[in-house]
Amino acid sequence: MRQNPLPLSRADLMKVESPARYVGGEVNAVVKEEMLEELEKTGRTSFLRFAFCFPDIYEIGMSNLALQILYHVMNEDPHIACERAFSPWLDMDALMREKNVKLYSLETKTPLDQFDVLGFTLGYEMCYTNVLQMLDLSGIPFYSKNRGENDPIICCGGPVAYNIEPMADFFDIVMMGEGEEMILEFCEKVREYKLSKETDHPMTRAELLRACDEIEGIYVPSLYECSYNHEIGAHLRPKYEDVKTMIKKRIIKDLDKVTYPTDPVVSNMRVVHDRTYLEVFRGCIRGCRFCQAGFVYRPVREKSVDVLCEQGRQLEKNTGYDEMGLLSLSTSDYTKFPELAENLLETFEGHHTSLSLPSLRLDSFSLDLMEKVQSTRKSGLTFAPEAGTQRLRDVINKNIREEDIFSSLRLAFQGGWSTVKLYFMLGLPTETDEDVIAIADLASRIEKLYFDVGRETGQRMRRLDITVSTSLFIPKPFTPFQWEKQDSKEELIRKQKLLKDHIRSRNIHYAWHDFDSSVWEVVLARGDRRLAPVLLEGYQKGLFYDAWDDHFKFNQWLEVLTSHGLSVDDFARAFSEEETLPWDHVSVGVTKKFLLSERHHAYKEETTASCRENCAGCGVACFGVGECFANRDAMAKEGGES
Amino acid sequence: MLQSELEKKMTTQAHQTAYVQRCRFAREGATTYLGHLDLMTVFERAARRAELPILYSQGYNPRPMMVFALPLGVGIESTCDYLDISLECPYDAGDFAKEMNAALPEGLRILSAKSIPEPKDSIMSLVTTASYRFEAKGIRPALLKAMEKDALIVTKMAKGKAKDTDIRPLLLAVKSEQDEDADVVEIITLAGSANNARPDLILQSLKQYCGLDAEIAENARVVRTGLYAGNYPDTTPIEDCPVRSWSDS
Ligand code: SF4
Repeated sequence: MRQNPLPLSRADLMKVESPARYVGGEVNAVVKEEMLEELEKTGRTSFLRFAFCFPDIYEIGMSNLALQILYHVMNEDPHIACERAFSPWLDMDALMREKNVKLYSLETKTPLDQFDVLGFTLGYEMCYTNVLQMLDLSGIPFYSKNRGENDPIICCGGPVAYNIEPMADFFDIVMMGEGEEMILEFCEKVREYKLSKETDHPMTRAELLRACDEIEGIYVPSLYECSYNHEIGAHLRPKYEDVKTMIKKRIIKDLDKVTYPTDPVVSNMRVVHDRTYLEVFRGCIRGCRFCQAGFVYRPVREKSVDVLCEQGRQLEKNTGYDEMGLLSLSTSDYTKFPELAENLLETFEGHHTSLSLPSLRLDSFSLDLMEKVQSTRKSGLTFAPEAGTQRLRDVINKNIREEDIFSSLRLAFQGGWSTVKLYFMLGLPTETDEDVIAIADLASRIEKLYFDVGRETGQRMRRLDITVSTSLFIPKPFTPFQWEKQDSKEELIRKQKLLKDHIRSRNIHYAWHDFDSSVWEVVLARGDRRLAPVLLEGYQKGLFYDAWDDHFKFNQWLEVLTSHGLSVDDFARAFSEEETLPWDHVSVGVTKKFLLSERHHAYKEETTASCRENCAGCGVACFGVGECFANRDAMAKEGGES
Repeated sequence: MLQSELEKKMTTQAHQTAYVQRCRFAREGATTYLGHLDLMTVFERAARRAELPILYSQGYNPRPMMVFALPLGVGIESTCDYLDISLECPYDAGDFAKEMNAALPEGLRILSAKSIPEPKDSIMSLVTTASYRFEAKGIRPALLKAMEKDALIVTKMAKGKAKDTDIRPLLLAVKSEQDEDADVVEIITLAGSANNARPDLILQSLKQYCGLDAEIAENARVVRTGLYAGNYPDTTPIEDCPVRSWSDS
């Protein structure tokens, strides 16, 4: 295939770790030959050139489903050429600066500043500084306001984009919600803008941004003014009358009909999750009160078994991967889960392809299924009770009961399992020492059950291995806990030690998560526009790759934060119910009123039923699709028949 | 018994016969930067995409039965490498090569395949000698100079430790060419699991003892051009080696 030569020499590539990250050439990667021909002949192209940027290393980005989906959607369009770029690792970063090589796309090795659009997918807050790194290495001005007619349009999307405020000044365009349709509407507008430059009436960049504001789901940060006040909070005002005041996320109504990449790009080198993914449904029926994904992805929309089986078959054939993961928030909630799993296993029969299953609600069916699935054997059983007591589980609305855990484990232990992983959170709202100690107690009762089963059945038991993992509660936007404070570091350390002191068996291991990064995550997750200069200054002092524990330098970040007159507490504090939150101009469909009522239910230790049992009226029914109507339709039907 | 040996034994017990395709392959372009393990995975996935009846090992963690004659280091191209791929059933060698090539990423190509009976000697054990072509400014005189030395001590990293080793005994001969281009040279070296000349170490020695500029050495193009069995100079290209099968006594 035709492409530019690699801008790096063999010697350069041999100096860095994993040079295969930087050379492309993967199966199913798309190079638009027609565009290259045009470029060769005339030096320009009518194609919209879109660089899909992933602000982390290649191996992580290549496991990202959003990248694969949107890459595919855009390249199906005859007027768009989408290529990929990833954050170069530190060794390559240094080399590129030393040799003055600009960051380039993997497909045609084109410097990113020659693209029309750079689109970043943001999956976690800690990757923000890598966005700055990629802009920097491309020689593109950081701030939106400093970019001119010849610079690419910089846009982003992804789950953390719902509160993009800390990064808002760096992006021209932000896409809220599911991107398959929105991104094409957006690309069309940018292409109009691009083509208009060749005419007598060229559109300006400012005109383009105004035109994009008309697209539902698109947020143009530069069209708003922002002020802060301790009483009323963040205040965002449109600069012009016709700019929308509320940005409502986009969703795909029918997942059976939307394009799904059954021929994703297959990395040549081994990557983090070396498997192909089948997305089963979007949304989650559960409503755990700490879980951002559970609210922002609503409503639940399932794909049909037929579509899934066909997509699974094609994925296996087109990628050659020997493992397929089912991807969704709580996959075993898929209404026809047994049918789907069995169907796929049948398809893979004799192919040495394994199905990797998410944590299941164990019953005899799923145990039988897990027997057939090799990968779960290796990794053991996983439960996420999240809290040690039923009281606290009711507070967070985590619908898992101890009886269920114990009855599942009994079955599993009888079946010969001996590895159990338990996930909890520390620092949850209303948590007491009693809740913390109960975690240790739960683990030791599981240990006792294991030996009881051994005694009852007389079977030879293997060495038991229970891992208790705790992460730290992070109050996230668009959850009922968005107003909560985060415990202070001292308090969290105390609780962690308390738990550690109560775990005494050598069969039980305790693994914990780093505090500092959780604190910084809160700052970024609940931050506002005051953080942009902080992030830029930190980056310019060499702070990036924050998602990598070894490279995250909390103390240096604190210094930068304080030098800008801000503190962690500005973002980790309890927000008042009256103040305007930095993300109040975005609607994910779930109303603020509903989130507030859920918060109050939490304090009363009252649970809320799943969407499938009983619609709680969260507001997402405004989209007019999905689970929200399944029950009503069924009930209406029953009512009609009787 | 090692796990791998155990699995192999179980495999040969479960399947009386494996139908082996002995493949000669080339690599260039982006795939040059893959390490050996990644390269194996790439071949495996290509075979799976091509839906070829690959034979898997038995046991806890079944792996496709694929054996490479000699690992190909990162950054080394090849015009002539070999691997054996075991199939569950007989398969036309021409079709096999064609189907694999349609599924392999750009840069990797099967040049020819040959159906052979399950070999008694692993393809790895056959390799004694390799040839490499180096392309870099002034590399021929530098290498000729190296051949005149009694010893070429270089430092190699093994298991995180630096170790001095003499690579001169591993260098057998420099092929003479008619046009004697100073910037291209082909060398024959010892290869295989016992004594193996690594091209990067050869370049290192040229840098250290024969006045080759460091940057030129690092940017040298390295192409493996052949793998052979037998004792030099009586060597046979791997594809021409007779195959001893299990039924031969
Ligand atoms: S509207 Fe009802 S059914 Fe739909 S997501 Fe909200 S709570 Fe669930």
